[in-house]
Amino acid sequence: MTQTITLWSHDSGPNPWKVAIVLEELALPYETKFVDLHKEVKAKPYTDKNPNGRVPAIEDPNTGITLWESGAIIEYLIDRYDTSNSLTYTSFPEKYYCKQYLHFQSSGQGPYFGQAAWFNKYHPENVQSAKDRYGAEVKRVTMVLDTILNGKEYLVGDKCTYADLSFVTWYQLAPYITGDTKIDFKGDYPHYYAWMERLTARPAVKKVLEDKQKATSG
Amino acid sequence: MSSTEKTPNINLYTTQTPNGIKISITLEELGIPYKPHKIDISQNTQKEPFFLAINPNGRIPALTDTFSDGQTIRLFESGSIMQYLVEQYDSVHHKISYPAGSRESYEVNNWLFFLNAGVGPMQGQANHFFRYAPEKIEYGISRYQNETRRLYRVLDQHLSTSSSGYLVGEKCTIADIAHWGWVAAAGWAGIEIDEFPHLKAWEDRMLARPGVERGRHVPSPHRMKEMSKAEMEKHAQESAQWIQREQAKDAKKE
Repeated sequence: MTQTITLWSHDSGPNPWKVAIVLEELALPYETKFVDLHKEVKAKPYTDKNPNGRVPAIEDPNTGITLWESGAIIEYLIDRYDTSNSLTYTSFPEKYYCKQYLHFQSSGQGPYFGQAAWFNKYHPENVQSAKDRYGAEVKRVTMVLDTILNGKEYLVGDKCTYADLSFVTWYQLAPYITGDTKIDFKGDYPHYYAWMERLTARPAVKKVLEDKQKATSG
Repeated sequence: MSSTEKTPNINLYTTQTPNGIKISITLEELGIPYKPHKIDISQNTQKEPFFLAINPNGRIPALTDTFSDGQTIRLFESGSIMQYLVEQYDSVHHKISYPAGSRESYEVNNWLFFLNAGVGPMQGQANHFFRYAPEKIEYGISRYQNETRRLYRVLDQHLSTSSSGYLVGEKCTIADIAHWGWVAAAGWAGIEIDEFPHLKAWEDRMLARPGVERGRHVPSPHRMKEMSKAEMEKHAQESAQWIQREQAKDAKKE
């Protein structure tokens, strides 16, 4: 019997929900605990779990491990619990291609979409050149994915893997965070768009996006 | 994992940047042969079809190897390349990694993603606003310099509690190697490393390793540690002109 894993999360930030999608897909028991980003996340006891003072982090009583960084957590969950390889490959070279796209997501999509969000939504002044810079990077990343997905249903092999799923939560925010940079995702990036529709139609993804919606509005 | 390691046939496509030297240092630390190919970013070699076939994202580093099935494997993203190299070529002696599935192996991943998703992108943005941006935007400079300082403080604090002087366990791993080129380039982003004594001591400890010394000069000499502030500024002006020209070209394509 697998014991309940704790996921330290936040209602609207995309990265904890990226981990929740993998937990749901693997049908693992987990409990979400929300951390207050103003009061709790940069102070003990939370920084004992994640010295970087960010969400997500997980605690897994089945192994006694505490981990942070959403990409590292996903690799752990897959290694440990995806025993039937439903979301991954053990074959070569697919195993490494999955890692490649996860790293592309964590270092190429997340940080730049995050900066677009900052300059479009949170920064008190209008810094047009910064909005343009990060809006252009959102387009470039999407163009790279669109090119890779031309003629393919998923990034690696012929099935959905954790690499595909890792892109979902930032893209859910894309129309909101790109503000003035109007991007026609459906018209300009059709392969990307069809892929995202395919991913968000999955029951586990749907459930997590609904949970996130409830958490944000609640 | 198998107990035998295959024979490498590695081509490394790289240039003299923090992300490029991560891979050459990893290869040197493992002591495996490889053929470096210098990608000339100023000539846009990374946008040529042969390179995009290896990395559709048009960024260095990228690497090819002959896989155990006899076919070529093409890899990009420095973090995934490092994971590949230690799984394929460090599964017996664990020189710079820990056994797959061990607690330490997952903790190495914490710091590897921390660098790739945190330090690298944020310090890279500090470089942009401090060195390359066409207009001087004080807010952009301070936002990314401050975030880089915050991340350095996390590293400094963590290293102050490490008995080995490395990020995870008792030895230098790919987590340390991933960080080194970025921390060594702190001055380029306008960050004073002296503010972070434990991190500075770690930087020197790393530099004393023969593998780091050999790997940092691939494919051309690593000069970050010897450049004066004036030299950095001159070099930055040249780079800024080129970057602004390329950005203007890219903008026209949209």
